Amino acid sequence: MNVIMPQLGETVEEGTVSIWHKKVGDIVVSGENLFDVSTDKVEMEIPASTSGELLEILVLEGETVAVGVTLAIIDDGSKANEVSVDISTKSEENFSNIDNQSTNRSKIAKDKIGKRDSLGNPLSPVVRRLLTDNNISPDEMSGSGSGGRITRGDVLAYLNNNVANSNNGQKVVPFDSIRKLTAEHMKRSKSTSPHVLQAIEVDYFSVNRARSVVGEVWKAQHGFSLTYLPFIAKAFCQVIKEFPRINAHVLDESLLLFDKVNLGIAVDLNFQGLVVPVIKNADDKSVAELAKEIWSLSEKARNKKLLPDEMTGGTYTISNSGAFGSLITAPVINQPQVAILSTDGVKKKPVVLETDMGESIAIRPVGVLAQSFDHRAIDGAYSAAFLKRIKDYLQDEEWNVSLD
Amino acid sequence: MAELTYREAVAAAIAQEMRRDENVVFLGEDIGAAGGVFKTTVGLLDEFGPLRVRDTPISEQAILGAAMGAAMTGLRPIAEIMFSDFLAVCWDIVANQMAKARYMTDGQVSLPLVVRTANGGGSRFGAQHSQSVENWAMTIPGIKVVAPSTPADVKGLFAAAVRDDNPVLFFEQKSLYASKGEVPEGDHVEELGKAKILREGDDLTIVALALMVPRALEAAERLEKSDGISATVIDLRSLVPLDTQTILAEVAKTGRMVTVEENPRLCGWGAEISSIVAEEMFYELDGPIVRITTPHIPLASADHLEDMMIPSVQRIYDEIRRAFS
Amino acid sequence: MAKKPGNKSFEVDLANDDIGEEVRINLFRLQLECRHVEQRANDLFLQNLIKGTSHLGLGQEAIAAGFAGAMESDDYTFCTYRGHNHTLARGASMTGILGELMGRECGLLGGKGGSMHLTSVEHGAMGSYAIIGAHLPIAVGAAWSSQYRGSSQVTVCFFGDGTTNIGAFHEALNMAKIWELPVVFVCENNLYMEYTPIGNVTAVENPAADRASAYGLESIIVDGNDADEVYRVAKKAITKAREGKGPSLIEAKTYRHSGHSRADPGDYRPDGELESWLERDPVKSYRQRLIDFGFPKEEVDLLEQEVLNRVDEATETAKKSSPPSEEAIVKDVWADGGSSWRN
Repeated sequence: MNVIMPQLGETVEEGTVSIWHKKVGDIVVSGENLFDVSTDKVEMEIPASTSGELLEILVLEGETVAVGVTLAIIDDGSKANEVSVDISTKSEENFSNIDNQSTNRSKIAKDKIGKRDSLGNPLSPVVRRLLTDNNISPDEMSGSGSGGRITRGDVLAYLNNNVANSNNGQKVVPFDSIRKLTAEHMKRSKSTSPHVLQAIEVDYFSVNRARSVVGEVWKAQHGFSLTYLPFIAKAFCQVIKEFPRINAHVLDESLLLFDKVNLGIAVDLNFQGLVVPVIKNADDKSVAELAKEIWSLSEKARNKKLLPDEMTGGTYTISNSGAFGSLITAPVINQPQVAILSTDGVKKKPVVLETDMGESIAIRPVGVLAQSFDHRAIDGAYSAAFLKRIKDYLQDEEWNVSLD
Repeated sequence: MAELTYREAVAAAIAQEMRRDENVVFLGEDIGAAGGVFKTTVGLLDEFGPLRVRDTPISEQAILGAAMGAAMTGLRPIAEIMFSDFLAVCWDIVANQMAKARYMTDGQVSLPLVVRTANGGGSRFGAQHSQSVENWAMTIPGIKVVAPSTPADVKGLFAAAVRDDNPVLFFEQKSLYASKGEVPEGDHVEELGKAKILREGDDLTIVALALMVPRALEAAERLEKSDGISATVIDLRSLVPLDTQTILAEVAKTGRMVTVEENPRLCGWGAEISSIVAEEMFYELDGPIVRITTPHIPLASADHLEDMMIPSVQRIYDEIRRAFS
Repeated sequence: MAKKPGNKSFEVDLANDDIGEEVRINLFRLQLECRHVEQRANDLFLQNLIKGTSHLGLGQEAIAAGFAGAMESDDYTFCTYRGHNHTLARGASMTGILGELMGRECGLLGGKGGSMHLTSVEHGAMGSYAIIGAHLPIAVGAAWSSQYRGSSQVTVCFFGDGTTNIGAFHEALNMAKIWELPVVFVCENNLYMEYTPIGNVTAVENPAADRASAYGLESIIVDGNDADEVYRVAKKAITKAREGKGPSLIEAKTYRHSGHSRADPGDYRPDGELESWLERDPVKSYRQRLIDFGFPKEEVDLLEQEVLNRVDEATETAKKSSPPSEEAIVKDVWADGGSSWRN
């Protein structure tokens, strides 16, 4: 066991060994004084906390060392002091807003407009933003504020007038804050990640069977329908363990892998924007639990009741584009995740079935799963293998949904 | 609906909660036999008896300590601190004990309690009996802070405070005790952390609390009539939890904000709101955020001096006009 | 542990004693647990596995044990930041306590409270308090609560000699007496208010007992290093409270073997004082008493070894526990488990 310099006093960072009461080769007994330490605050006798032969003294009398430095070694039959417990480095992303508890930090608006107009009157932040967003110059209008300052009202009035007076069938609709945030995110994501789209077709026969077994009762009990999405989410969670490089974030020159799956589900807010609430530890959840949590998070999202906690920490995202029956979608990756999955429309189609008695045609519910992945992090074969496993899981699993 | 004074609403609120739940108990100085030095607790001793309505010695630390110990062990106590200035005498129990016990014990300890107190000036009581100290409570993590401006909100917010499982400091403004208002009969519960928009306008958003609310409303009327300045007035009602979304949404609509605070200047509650708005609504602001506060000076007692120090309708009106010129 | 037939060396017939064999074994075990956990805490501190500060109760075990032995499991206790012994004696786990001192996830408080705030509500240990005197009125509140609810639970409140000079002490005693509350106040007089001899800063000789009359209470002094004596006095006061006959104030004379906190080598103590008190070490004395009463030495040693084994096991478990995850930071400010102050 290593004898170390203890921290005597809350603000003390080093100590001086003033006296050794034992020498190398002596047998030390637990509890007897081993050495004295002096710091700028105290002088203290330090007893041995174990028994055995004093093998080595590394710091001599009169030497000053920092707290925690090994001073001597006692052979007491134990291993050397254990390595401190491993703390997995978590991304600080979750806690960047720990102080202001908000996700609303004003983004710096890139504006080409200076702080004053050509008359020397100050332009307020909202005026500069409106002018920039609408690509107009302050010189195009007059100000009604004190000293001829252009006010917010002046810019809004100008915009209204110009729209009303225009006769070429155009109308300017400035982006609201959600639209602006989305635009920014999408642009940045595409310019950061080389997106590759890869799709696979899935036969949802098994899933549909499970859905129809419990469907009515589920709807009656929970007030919403059991859709394909929780099954796809479950399949994802099961399969992703074999493809850890997909449940990850892309850093500068490395991948940050995660043990647990925090699954983001993109929710459309009545055509007014997108938000992605996150199901934490989705890999611990059953189909029923996923279904319920997807529903409750979507409701909260639509009612603008999501907490910051519920919108961060995602390791993968599923975008449920299929509600309107789209064939295939190439979704934009939710940075800094490795990939995103689009679940497109499920439609009855004729498919070829291979049975022991030859080939036949059957009518099956078929839909495309399309993954956009970041080609910096993974390659097509890996992604394809992953999609194949999901398809197999969805098709072959004996789906069993509990009702509570 | 019944018309009650603010002080009658206090007694009505306490009675409503004590009737509803036998675990609600009440202690404080002169609250029982005397009905409270501000006559806010008249009739409670008669209705609930001396085991549930306890008159205490002058022992602020014991009053709040006992409330905390009772809350830890199954009761839902209400404690009165006669003047909010006296919170300084027992501030250890509020700031070090009540605010932190749940967190430090990893959630083992539960403190469903309310400390109600008479806060603020305007009654000529001098510097040690007239302070507005709800901002002190706002600075301690772990304490909810409520300050109603009307009798209806006294009843509704107090009920919410009692039913909340956390420590709540409930600041009654003593100069509002005689004010009257319509109060819903029966079980009336409001929501903590929800501000109320009392008036809608286009040109600026005024955020006010407690005594400053009726004054802000009157100033807003005057500004509209004589100067054509149309103001939204928000009654904040709770400092913690803070209804940030309402403030941000209303400021986005008007582009300007003024806070009206009874606290002395430095670190009054409006400073925090101003900071949040400046950070999160910067690109909606058409002009500087203005705070109207009591100066950073102990309150003088002479009526003429006190009235000049605490923001008056006239001063609110003048300062807003100046900010818009 | 049965008496071996034919054993001739006991002086007192235990079956007829007011305390009895079963209670004595319990009191001894409690003292051993306190002693060995505290010593382990000391060792871990020197190995830099315990950071910050801690206030050890070495030498004061008989008080924690004597009272714990006299209480029911649903009684309440409140103690100071020198509260490892008290919390352990009410039944909190060793792993929880050592883990908390080392700031690990398995700690009694999830690593969020630390040495000075050990609490185990399920065992009636309603907290260790770091502001001198603050918990006395809080203890009064717990007693008021049990009186109001008619539950016959008693509250026992431990504090040091230094506490008797702070305002909250006086407020609490007065209030407890006027309302005849079921609370027992226990002053552990270890002769030093942090670094200063208590006699230098107190107007009366016995800092608690001499003030009892000011609150209409009887002056009670007990040898805090004799667990049997402490147990007797505790039983009496707790029974009195439980019968609705009001509060008590007890002054237990004792001594702490280490400094006030880990940073304090206790150099302000006069030469020989520590040594003379070490001769009256409560654990040593009680061990000898059991042997004098006829408990076989091997059984006593076995008991001690069993305690040591449990301490070792708890230490290893606690060492393996990871530090709390960052998610713990934002949990449990409010009753809903969150920490949000805004929307």
